[in-house]
Amino acid sequence: MIELRGVTKAFGSKKAVDHLDLTIKAGELFAFLGPNGAGKTTTIKMVCGLLSPTAGVVRVGGYPAGSQEARQLLAYVPDQPYLYEKLTGREFLRFVVEMYGSDHRSAAKRLEELIETFEMSDYVDELCESYSQGMKQRIVFASALIHDPKVLIVDEPLVGLDPRSARIVKDLFVSQARSGVAVLMSTHLLSIAEELADTIGIVNHGKMLAHGTLAELREELQSHSPLEDLFLKLTGGNRPLANGRIVIPHGAPGQ
Amino acid sequence: MNELPVPNVRLTDASVAAQAFRRHRYRLFKNTFQSLVSVSRLRLLMILICSAIFWVVLFGLFFEGFQFVGKYIDPTNTIIEYLFSIFFLSLLVMLFFSTGIIVYTGLFQSREAGFLLTLPTTSDRIFAYKFVEAMGFSSWGFLLLVSPMMVAYGITVPASGAFYGVFLLYLLSFVLIPGSLGACAAILVANFFPRRQKTILIVGAVTILAAAIFLAFKIVQTPGEALSVDWLGGLIGRLAFSQNPLLPSRWMSAGLLASARGYWGESLFYLMVISGHSALAYLVAAVLARDLYRQGYSRVQGGRSNRRRSSWYGIDAIFHRVFFFIPGPIRLLILKDLRTFRRDPAQWSQFLIFFGLLGFYFLNIRRLSYDVQSPYWRNLVSFLNLAVTALILSTFTSRFIFPLLSLEGRNFWILGLLPLKREAILWGKFAFATGISLVASEILVVLSDLMLRMSTAMIALHMGMVAVLCLGLSGISVGLGARLPNLKESDPSKIAAGFGGTLNLLVSLVFIFSIVTALAVPCHLYFAGQDGTVFPSFVLSEERFRFWMAVAIIVSLTVGAVGTIVPLRIGIKAFQNMEF
Repeated sequence: MIELRGVTKAFGSKKAVDHLDLTIKAGELFAFLGPNGAGKTTTIKMVCGLLSPTAGVVRVGGYPAGSQEARQLLAYVPDQPYLYEKLTGREFLRFVVEMYGSDHRSAAKRLEELIETFEMSDYVDELCESYSQGMKQRIVFASALIHDPKVLIVDEPLVGLDPRSARIVKDLFVSQARSGVAVLMSTHLLSIAEELADTIGIVNHGKMLAHGTLAELREELQSHSPLEDLFLKLTGGNRPLANGRIVIPHGAPGQ
Repeated sequence: MNELPVPNVRLTDASVAAQAFRRHRYRLFKNTFQSLVSVSRLRLLMILICSAIFWVVLFGLFFEGFQFVGKYIDPTNTIIEYLFSIFFLSLLVMLFFSTGIIVYTGLFQSREAGFLLTLPTTSDRIFAYKFVEAMGFSSWGFLLLVSPMMVAYGITVPASGAFYGVFLLYLLSFVLIPGSLGACAAILVANFFPRRQKTILIVGAVTILAAAIFLAFKIVQTPGEALSVDWLGGLIGRLAFSQNPLLPSRWMSAGLLASARGYWGESLFYLMVISGHSALAYLVAAVLARDLYRQGYSRVQGGRSNRRRSSWYGIDAIFHRVFFFIPGPIRLLILKDLRTFRRDPAQWSQFLIFFGLLGFYFLNIRRLSYDVQSPYWRNLVSFLNLAVTALILSTFTSRFIFPLLSLEGRNFWILGLLPLKREAILWGKFAFATGISLVASEILVVLSDLMLRMSTAMIALHMGMVAVLCLGLSGISVGLGARLPNLKESDPSKIAAGFGGTLNLLVSLVFIFSIVTALAVPCHLYFAGQDGTVFPSFVLSEERFRFWMAVAIIVSLTVGAVGTIVPLRIGIKAFQNMEF
């Protein structure tokens, strides 16, 4: 469903993504891992058609990324979601439904289902300007799922969500993938990748360092350590040195 | 994982997307209006009252102007057509720039654009949605400015009732031409100069201002006595370029004059010419958007600068030494604002353009022979120069100083948690605003006075006035900025254009008027006596002049102190009670 072939994206002289090859099949839940500035969000934006690759090809469902067909198949939840402050959550969801040209009756039913799933009935008719970060995030998740996408792309999915909402979202990812949706999830939380992902890709400086199931990654690196250790080994070589530089204030306990 | 076949995609119909956008805009408008009525009734009332006052004042000015001109010439005369052409040409240029900037921001830099581009609709549909919004923002001022003029003109001619309906059709058709051309320019700049948009804007603005100054000089230098036959003939010759038949402003003036005269055939012809070209201009913009919008968005978003910035630590050290008497943390806050000012071309370029042009004019005062005029004229010109400097300063403080606290936005808690008294933060902003204003304004006013060969006493008086004005305008902007912050908005121009910014500008204008009038009137009456020709019964003798000047200085110092301290106190109180 998602296909990147030799994709490069350069910002001036700096290559944010460097000859990236990636395939995510229908029904696959793929976790995209990497340090800050590794090129994860740039890759995601290219898949969504918001950025054009400097070189290479990006396809969604066999269609060029950014084409209307690709967008019809796709749902995107960014790390900083955009909502119209002067719309209610329900009005925002209706706008998305109308834009996808969904059938009114089935869309109304789906809307009610999602309001119930994400437990939004208490606030869905208030203006979005009064929502907390977590409330906004839940509305955006509902808007992404309301048109039954075939490709779901999520950047940092659990930012601002409380544990209960986080659980709902995690279960949804799995159920979406099992129903045939290709899920591309970028995250810094290695535990989620470990818990949910079918396949994992680790990028750094725009290059794919490792790609496969957790078992395949362990085999490749000849290690049975947790994902965190594999990640640190691939991206930094060893553990960060911050603990050696912490200055303990004078007079603190233990001095 | 089962490999599923590539799905057949049923695309959203274009009419469905258009309807979705229409409903969306209606919902946004309805909710915004309802929340204005329920939460900000006072603000809505103030906006309506201010707009009504503005309209009535403009109508009065235009009506008196047309009546005055009507005493000498027929109001449907060629000279009026020329003046209308120039007027609409100026508006054409302004609308081109304002719509272009708003379209650029809305299409290429807003977070909303990122959301809209992921929806299954075409680029030209998104463009149409954002274009309507941009036209609304950029044209309401145009309608507020032109409608009183046209009503005043219609009454003066006098025109038939149909004229008032027809001129509205003209205005609505006309605004689409510069708006669409501005949008085309925005799309082309995003595609071909994604990292140079500010440079292009500055070059464009400087070119237009230089052309405007050149034209003003040409008009001022028209030979002959004002409104004499020779003078009018010379003026028409100098404005002949505005009658180029390819200019939409020419079609506007010719069509409106034909409507006022009741020549409906001619009026309809020009209306069709304008509306036909409006439709064509919009079509070109929509085609450009269809083909280049997505690519331009990618280029603008990918054109971020990763250039390392010099911190100029040497200058920081000098600043700390020179201003050692200001508490350290406040010095750091001032340095932060200075650094932001230096790195934001929108701020320093606007500052540089306006003050640079004023400086250019002041340097050329002797070329205009103002310095060899009578003391009466030199005094008049010196006060006018001072007033213009203060007015430009007030636009600067309203546009850049007022939004300073609002722009802290989501980072407001950082200021709130600093180990400082909260009022010290405002004093820091006040010192920053006053410092920049004082340096620029004092240099300009002294330059103007030296070029006019004013006496040392008058130079000292003007310097004192400028100091009072700088302190007051900074106090008003910082105080009201803290009292009426807009923490949700990240665009300073929108903060300045909002209720708080508008109120700030109005208060600043009243303040400037009070200070300048208090001191200019006694000086004017004194120097009028030296000229010996103007209003002999109101002339002040030397003795009475000294007395009234003393009174005026006390009054202006009092107004200055009130104008500085009261808004600052209001701002400090509001800032101390603010919750983060």
